[in-house]
Amino acid sequence: MAIAKMKKVFLVGHQEEKDCTLGLLQRIAVMEVSDLQGKAADAALSGLVEGDREQGALQELEARLAEVRFALDFLNRYFPAKKGMLSSLEDNRALLTLEDFKAQAAVWEQQAKEVYGELRRADEKLVSLRNEETRLQNLRAQLQPLEKLDLPLEELRSTAQVGLELGILPSDELDPFRAAVQAAAPEALLQEIYGDREETYLLLAYAASSVEALKEALKQFSFSRQEFPSLRGTAAQNLARIEEELGGTAARRQEILLEAKKQTAWREQLNCYYDYLVMERDKSQLVSHLARTENAFVMEGWVREKDLPLLEHKLATVCHTVVCLARDAAEDEAFPVALENHPYVAPFEFVTTLYGTPKPRSIDPTLPLTPFFVAFFGICMSDAGYGLIIAALAAWMLWKVKLGTGARRIFKVVLACGVSTVIFGSLIGGWFGGLVPLAPLFFDALADPMRMLIYALAIGIFQIFTGMGIMFYRKVREGKWLDAVYDELFWVLFLSGLILLAFPQTAGLARVLAPAAGVGLVLTQGRTQEGIVRKFVSGLFSLYNVTGYLGDILSYSRLLALGLATSVIAMSVNMLSFMLGGTLIGAVVMVVMLAFGHLFNMVINILGAYVHSSRLQYLEFFNRFFESGGRPFKPFKLNTNHVHVTLD
Amino acid sequence: MEIGLGLGILGAAIATLLAGIGSAIGIGIAGQSSAGVISEDPDKFGLTIVLTALPGTQGIYGLIMGFLILFRTGIMGGEVLALTTPQGLGLLFAALPIGFVGWYSAIFQGKAAAAGIQMIAKRPEEFGKAMIYPVMVETYAVFALLMSIMIFMFLPF
Repeated sequence: MAIAKMKKVFLVGHQEEKDCTLGLLQRIAVMEVSDLQGKAADAALSGLVEGDREQGALQELEARLAEVRFALDFLNRYFPAKKGMLSSLEDNRALLTLEDFKAQAAVWEQQAKEVYGELRRADEKLVSLRNEETRLQNLRAQLQPLEKLDLPLEELRSTAQVGLELGILPSDELDPFRAAVQAAAPEALLQEIYGDREETYLLLAYAASSVEALKEALKQFSFSRQEFPSLRGTAAQNLARIEEELGGTAARRQEILLEAKKQTAWREQLNCYYDYLVMERDKSQLVSHLARTENAFVMEGWVREKDLPLLEHKLATVCHTVVCLARDAAEDEAFPVALENHPYVAPFEFVTTLYGTPKPRSIDPTLPLTPFFVAFFGICMSDAGYGLIIAALAAWMLWKVKLGTGARRIFKVVLACGVSTVIFGSLIGGWFGGLVPLAPLFFDALADPMRMLIYALAIGIFQIFTGMGIMFYRKVREGKWLDAVYDELFWVLFLSGLILLAFPQTAGLARVLAPAAGVGLVLTQGRTQEGIVRKFVSGLFSLYNVTGYLGDILSYSRLLALGLATSVIAMSVNMLSFMLGGTLIGAVVMVVMLAFGHLFNMVINILGAYVHSSRLQYLEFFNRFFESGGRPFKPFKLNTNHVHVTLD
Repeated sequence: MEIGLGLGILGAAIATLLAGIGSAIGIGIAGQSSAGVISEDPDKFGLTIVLTALPGTQGIYGLIMGFLILFRTGIMGGEVLALTTPQGLGLLFAALPIGFVGWYSAIFQGKAAAAGIQMIAKRPEEFGKAMIYPVMVETYAVFALLMSIMIFMFLPF
């Protein structure tokens, strides 16, 4: 259980070697660079240096990144790359040295410009095609109701003697509208061209002399006039032409895409070039964290103590003018927290960090929680058959698939949990809910749940006492001996006394221990209060906390409940499936049902086992000693997805 | 059929029915929240699915109790027992804790999960904490299942 020792590091070097230093830091990824411009870092420095910035270079890089991102987005949108099922877990980065990467990037740069140009043009054409299509579709929607109108659209206008209007009227106004027209201009002709529940298209013809009367009469109706000044021919003719043009745009689009598809050949190069630009951009961005004088740069940051020799050695060989100064963290200086654990335990750090990063100078709970987490998972699953499947799957992933670092860690945890499930399953559970009739080696939890409950609670008491033990250790380490005795030891003794009362053999001892520890608690738990009465009352009330401990211990009964849940569902799957056996078809259905039933049960219980194993750590265990609120250590590193630059 | 057996079957039905209703509502609430988050950021599917599935366990606990009763009474896979009325009532009462607590806890767990899903929309790194709140609700469903199983196991027949 360790939080890594950190060294504060200052680098000072010639401006000429700034880029080389940043590149080196990026590749060895051991140093977190602090922002010297954000705060007045060291007062001693502030008079000597000014902020550094590479605004121009950064903008140039961002602009090129935007171009490459555009090209990649275009390709991925229209021609998605084929991906394997496991591709998000795999690590298929190409290994390149820095020299090769730089040399290649010069080639890619030219290529990327061309590809970007092509794709940008294609995109512009596609956009104008889309606009054209939208225009045609809108016009089509306008004309469709008029399909039956055999009057050429250009003749839809009034002449000297005859007024002619085409318009749309809400259908429910139709009857009053007809009457109004009739009254105002008896000679008028009203033809219904198209109508549905919402709207009716009307053609209105009248003598030019009644135009004023009609205008007055129709004011109250929402009759909206339609005109197509730019169209010739009938609506039907226009519709046919629109269809033809739409067909033309579709063909154009296919052509453009076919042309653009040639650029997919450069996808891999674009990806690599993107990585290169990201690398350069990150360096350029980091410059704003530095300070400078006329000819030198100054950098400040944190390095793990064990990485310091590597950093010093690399700097000395690669960047000759750079001076590296290191010191320990000051007494009350908050340093970034990196967890350091044995390779077997390190994968479980994610359990800790999902809850929070421990404070600097506190305790990393990863090591103590690992055995509990693994055991709890096994007890909650409690089916050796499922465990075998989980372990086999994890082992296959670890050995046969080239996984990324994160995925590799996760599957190590899965492997451990699978093995634990095999162990606990064969001890107290079964194999596929009794499908493989092997008796449990220890006892059958399903047949004797009371016994299992007692074991579950005992494990809980053990974990809670472990947590209190860690807190005891921590307080002693900080020199708070008395606090450790009052707050941890007295409680452990008091709770132990209460537990021992339950057993006839130890009741005698317990009758002395519990009251003695209880008196100790009453006398000490109120020690921060003022005045003798308050101290006593506060101490007395502290005994009420026993309910908190009781609740926490009872919480471990979930180990039993979740184990039983797996077994009962597995048994039910077996029983339901076997009811179907007998005929040939029945046997086939039976096998399918067994496979799916057990798969379902396994997945659901993995979820439950993971969630509840975590919860017992977070609430019942961490409560006793864990202090979160540290700042995680984030070394400056390469953020590439397709290329990994080797450290020469 | 004896009244006792009928009461036992009623127990199996109630456990599955109430807890199942609760889980359906709870997952529904969490699912709506997840869909909203996914529409913004499809990459969070893996995280949201865990939280969305959490209120589903109550339905399973109810199902477990239902199966246990069906096995015990011999309706599934065995000789059907002739239960007395008190025996049947015992089975019915055994089903009540997980039925009722499962029902309500799943709904409230769904709400807590929905809030957690909104939380990881903004701060995916806080997944561990987003998980704790709904799981704290689940505790009471686990306790109820435990009590249901204890009553069931120690029924005197």
